[in-house]
Amino acid sequence: MATYADLELVKYLCCCKKKFSVCRLYLCKYCLQLRCTDCTQHEVDTPYCPHCLENMPSGEAKLKKNRCSNCFDCPVCGHTLVTRSTSHTSPSPDDPTKTIAKKMYYMACGFCRWTTRDVGLPDQSVASGSWPILQNPHEQRISSLLENYKIMAQIEKAEHERKKYVSRRSHLYRQDKYGGSAAGLRRKGMSTFSSMSSTESKVPGELEPSVTVDSFEPLPNEYFTEPAALVKTTKLAHRHSVPEFQPTEISKLHPIHKHLLMRKSLRCKECEHNVSKADFNPSSIKFKIQLTAQHHVPEIRILTPSTFTMNKETIVTLTLSNPSVFGMTVSLHPIEDESDTDYCSAKVELPKKELLLAGRDEPSMQMYDDSSQADEFKDDPKVIVFRKGNKIGFVVKVTPVVNEGDVKIQFMMKHEFRNTTAAALQSESKEPEIVWLEHKVYMNLGPIAKKDPNVSQA
Amino acid sequence: MASKKAGGTTNPNLKIAAGAMVCEDCELIGDITIGSRTVIHPKARIVAESGPVVIGEYNIIEELVTITNSSSTESGNGKVLIIGNNNVFEVGANVQAVRVGDHNVIESKAHVGPKVEIGTGCIVGAGCQITMAEQLADYTVIYGGKCERRIQRERPPAQTLQIDFLTKILPNYHYLKKPNTQPASRTAVKK
Repeated sequence: MATYADLELVKYLCCCKKKFSVCRLYLCKYCLQLRCTDCTQHEVDTPYCPHCLENMPSGEAKLKKNRCSNCFDCPVCGHTLVTRSTSHTSPSPDDPTKTIAKKMYYMACGFCRWTTRDVGLPDQSVASGSWPILQNPHEQRISSLLENYKIMAQIEKAEHERKKYVSRRSHLYRQDKYGGSAAGLRRKGMSTFSSMSSTESKVPGELEPSVTVDSFEPLPNEYFTEPAALVKTTKLAHRHSVPEFQPTEISKLHPIHKHLLMRKSLRCKECEHNVSKADFNPSSIKFKIQLTAQHHVPEIRILTPSTFTMNKETIVTLTLSNPSVFGMTVSLHPIEDESDTDYCSAKVELPKKELLLAGRDEPSMQMYDDSSQADEFKDDPKVIVFRKGNKIGFVVKVTPVVNEGDVKIQFMMKHEFRNTTAAALQSESKEPEIVWLEHKVYMNLGPIAKKDPNVSQA
Repeated sequence: MASKKAGGTTNPNLKIAAGAMVCEDCELIGDITIGSRTVIHPKARIVAESGPVVIGEYNIIEELVTITNSSSTESGNGKVLIIGNNNVFEVGANVQAVRVGDHNVIESKAHVGPKVEIGTGCIVGAGCQITMAEQLADYTVIYGGKCERRIQRERPPAQTLQIDFLTKILPNYHYLKKPNTQPASRTAVKK
């Protein structure tokens, strides 16, 4: 379905003058403007694990290096590992003649069949949480470096505050340089001045400088004499996925803690209202607020591809569907004051009348009787080819003005929109205010037919 | 339904050991020997035109699997295709191998070409194709869209429970071919 909607042939102009297909756009109810992902502020709601769907506060996530502690990925192919249980019999400690069955657990990849037994990890007696964590050999060095940079950031910030004390608020981002907790620094506020004197003296000298490596040992002879054991050697991707160890042999790969994902919400940059906010619970697929343009702006699609010839009028059938539950009137106009003249490569004759669209009626969508509807709307059969539910097919006449390349047209679409925001409802008498929205639509109708010299021009 | 086909009781060269579950609705062409406790699902196809096919014990051959002896282009001239014990051929697998050892898993829609020899404990992943002439080392795993390879430490577990389950459930819904040899024929399977 995503590929079906995301064809990139019909594009709408965002308020920032960029073109996107309708499924990529949001409609801000308050500004009544289309917003693309660049015109919205992306905010992190909460990190969560995509496998166990556990929420984690961002502080804790940072502490755990944005990884889930219970879920693992296969180090070979990257799929999620599943826990398998086996029963293991061992002699009973009380009575050596009897054996007791004990459940043991190991992890296996369902895709490439890798198991924790492959690398010699012993089976665990509990299902989760007891897998050994490898100690990073450079952990001390990294933490001392981090510590140092944090102090550096603090000093820098304090110096900056001293210089530009007046316009402090605009430089909040600077505080989080080198991972120094912005919130923590802000809480300290002015105290950074006083603490500065003590930290400043700490920095230089304490950090052991990195050692430059200028000679490497030559490759051992085996690399040239032995055949390459590709099935036992890790690939670059394997090594990059564990940067702290970078094992060279498959048998040294350990399960990787699953990366956390982010629930994010989007906010209109102009009015700061939310345009998309997911439900807090990660297992829910619902949204609290979802103002994607696909749910509010009528969608135009190309019904069938047509063959084009230069300077020849071709009839193209487009479909228009109404996503809202109310009836909608749509009118199409040419764009007159067009600055973006590069785009258009054809003349287009649009329907002059307003197009009436029925509302989207989910339950009865399967059993619509087309014939009765056509009478109801008194359609002109020359313009409206068919009508089915909330969708119509209408014709436009396209005359390409170029002799090669894609046939591209543009027009303005005006449509009704029921403004149901609280502000709009208060001003009117409970009835949602109907406003007209205008969107510029750009379409790529496909290439011009190649002239075939063997076929006589009919 | 399958009686129209060349298989069925009309095939004089078909040897099914006692305890094997061979569904009536599968296509068995030519000289085929099936070991005891092997389960062959309906719509499987085993073609032994160019040479005999010998299938060992405790194998599972699922729906739409094609096993072909393609050792020779002329019919009846080829070598014997020996399939060992405890192998699983998942739905839609296509196997034309020279030899298949024991404890292998050929996953769904995998393709094993005519010059491949499969050893012991190998897994050919879903949709993977091996077409080069080669001898798969024991415990090789082939997986993913790029047919990446890895050597595993243990062979895949035997599907004894699954065979028990199928032996119980298959006769309820399918007609079976009757075994015509005693389990003694297993000696023929072992090399």
